[in-house]
Amino acid sequence: MALLPHQSRADGKKAEPTVVQDAHYGEVLFYFYQGEYFPAIVRLLAAQKQSQLESHEKESELLLGGLYLSYGHHLYAAEIFERLLADNVEPEIRDRTWFFLAKIWHQRGYLAESQQALNNIQAELPKVLEAERNMLQAQILIDRREYDQAIAMLQAWKDKTEWASYAKFNLGVAMVRNGQVDAAAKILDGLGNLDPYNEELNSLRDKANLALGYAYLQDGQPHAAKPPLQRVRLAGPFSNKALLGVGWADAENHNFRRALVPWMELRSRDLLDSAVQESMLAIPFAMAKLDSISQAADHYLNAVEAFYEEANRIDRTIEHIETGALLDEFLGQDPLETTGWYWKLEQLPEGPESRYLLHLLATHSFQEGLKNYRDLGYLRQNLANWQKNIGVYRNMLDTRELAYEERLPKIEASLARADLDGMVGRKLEFDARLNSIEQSGDTLALATEREFELWGEITALERTPALAADIPEAQEVRDKIKLLKGVLQWELDKEFKSRLWRVRRDVQQTGQALVDTQRSRRNIDVTMRGEPLMFDSFNARVDGLNPRIEMLQSQVDGAMGRQRAFLQSIAVEELRAQQQRLNTYSVQARFALAAIYDLSATVGDASQ
Amino acid sequence: MTNIFVAICILSFATTTVAQDAASMDAASVMAMSESAEADAASEREQFRSLDKDVQSLKKEVLDLNRDLFLLEEELLFPANSQVAFFISMDVGEYFDLDSVNLKIDGKEVANYLYTEREVGALIRGGVHRVHMGNIKTGDHELIAIFTGKGPHIRDYRRGATMSLNKGIGAKYVELEISDKVKKQQPEFVIKEWE
Repeated sequence: MALLPHQSRADGKKAEPTVVQDAHYGEVLFYFYQGEYFPAIVRLLAAQKQSQLESHEKESELLLGGLYLSYGHHLYAAEIFERLLADNVEPEIRDRTWFFLAKIWHQRGYLAESQQALNNIQAELPKVLEAERNMLQAQILIDRREYDQAIAMLQAWKDKTEWASYAKFNLGVAMVRNGQVDAAAKILDGLGNLDPYNEELNSLRDKANLALGYAYLQDGQPHAAKPPLQRVRLAGPFSNKALLGVGWADAENHNFRRALVPWMELRSRDLLDSAVQESMLAIPFAMAKLDSISQAADHYLNAVEAFYEEANRIDRTIEHIETGALLDEFLGQDPLETTGWYWKLEQLPEGPESRYLLHLLATHSFQEGLKNYRDLGYLRQNLANWQKNIGVYRNMLDTRELAYEERLPKIEASLARADLDGMVGRKLEFDARLNSIEQSGDTLALATEREFELWGEITALERTPALAADIPEAQEVRDKIKLLKGVLQWELDKEFKSRLWRVRRDVQQTGQALVDTQRSRRNIDVTMRGEPLMFDSFNARVDGLNPRIEMLQSQVDGAMGRQRAFLQSIAVEELRAQQQRLNTYSVQARFALAAIYDLSATVGDASQ
Repeated sequence: MTNIFVAICILSFATTTVAQDAASMDAASVMAMSESAEADAASEREQFRSLDKDVQSLKKEVLDLNRDLFLLEEELLFPANSQVAFFISMDVGEYFDLDSVNLKIDGKEVANYLYTEREVGALIRGGVHRVHMGNIKTGDHELIAIFTGKGPHIRDYRRGATMSLNKGIGAKYVELEISDKVKKQQPEFVIKEWE
């Protein structure tokens, strides 16, 4: 069967082709290669149960592990790998498999399991994966607050690919968290000055500059904070925070006029961004410092109004989320054709919620939770389809059973009419008769009807009394009769062997037909005995599967509800935090406004 | 040999490697989280894990149920004594770009399948497609398979292959393999059967 050219190995090596020997195994691969993991797994499990994968026994088990992994069924994938990867598997493949399990587990927050999987890797992975593996290890160490180890590991980073830049960034992160701010600043500064050649590195450069700038601001070094913040791209995703930071650096240096420049730029941007919200307070703060009190009051009023409207919008959004419609809208335009770990929500649906929750989608717990929710949706649809089919099977079985019961008496009657034993007896009689004809050379027994009549006529003539007379005429007739009889006997003798062969052949064929008929009869008997049992077995299976479907439907519904509640709680929590921030800003704005009014009143009173 | 299969399974992971994940901590989270924020994150993670375990176990149960239903469906619709299945496979496929397959049994059309690019890709990589499953009576039958697609030099190509097949009491599997005849630089269509 088909060869398998695996040309897409990550390490660039061409894999040896292998031969698919069982069509059912190839069928599983057919679905797997199209990324249709669910049907591939179902077919593989079914073929295993029917022992259709004998030529690929071990490979199929490993393939199942791989399919589970692709489907995001990681705990069961790990069970298989733990069982099978211990022996008989090339170390490189074993290590690579553990690496991907570690990666999935890290994404899903199974940190201990992820670390355990990394520990199982025994040798270096191919270059491109080795870097990723080290990065994953460093991230786990940072997650576990084991900063010294993370720092040691990241400092020893050797390659010169773009991974080295990510390593530097994470090194900076680990150092900041470990209290080594000066050392971290050097690292981040180096990264913030790198010459990026792609969007990813541009983004990393921005992140480093932003992190460094804010670290300096928090450390009370506004002069040092400005250069890195000014290196952040104006059009990039970190631009708002950088502009805000630049403004604060100037404000810290009491240069409020300069601070207004980046903050005024922020005014025209999306109010959803916390940096933009903060700038709405920063602007009047700077104006007040510059003694533009009435302008400051106007800006505070605008801010209060904008925050109020925004908080109301968030309220409505929370209400909408709590109705449960949010997730269905998220997944609404997404066909449930594929499932598994690779899926990612690429496009947000239109609506007010999407803009608020945009960054939630970048978090692992929300994305992974959404994947689970989506997978549950697929399971629900799958179960609903089967439930419909089970109804069809039930009808099909009932119809077949009814048809069988209607046909059975007719078949039994016709079977009773067919006397097979009698036919066999007659066949045996024929055999005996033919043997006797052969032994006695009874040529007349195989004569044709015409020959037999002729023979009768001749022998009747022979016996005619008139022909016994001793006269020449009678002698002449006797001679003629003798001649005729001789000719006929000669014909019969000549044809005897071929006639005997033909008759024997016909009898033999009849015998074969009788054997076939007896076999068919036995099959019919077996079927007639087996059919009710088969119906019972099918009925039991159909009857047993239906409650299983219903039970699973209810469990899937329950799990979907819990998953939905979990995702909604993350979303609502996020929105409440945004709302809380707006409320705080609003209070600050009102307080500042009140202070301005107080000040104006005091100045007014004094002037009177 | 086993290594290749694990490789296939996990290769796709390699291609999905997203470098940005490596520096997933954004600037705001450069500083360590506060204790309460960390406790919240840990609780969220714990909640996710608990739900995830439920989902994992449900997936397992639904997969097992699907396996049982799949087998029930097959045994019910295609009992072994009349079952016949036709598979399409490809060996290399340099000289033939498959578009469709048409199958006739005893002059009656039973399948006319148009392949997508993705399906052809899966065939080339070693997948085997069950193009038709049906029921036929025991005895002799005639199978005609017509393959259409692009042949050498991207010319329209249409070829038929005929075979007589004998259906016994057990299930019958027929594989239609498209392979390359390197010497003639032409595709070759081979029909194999087994029970």
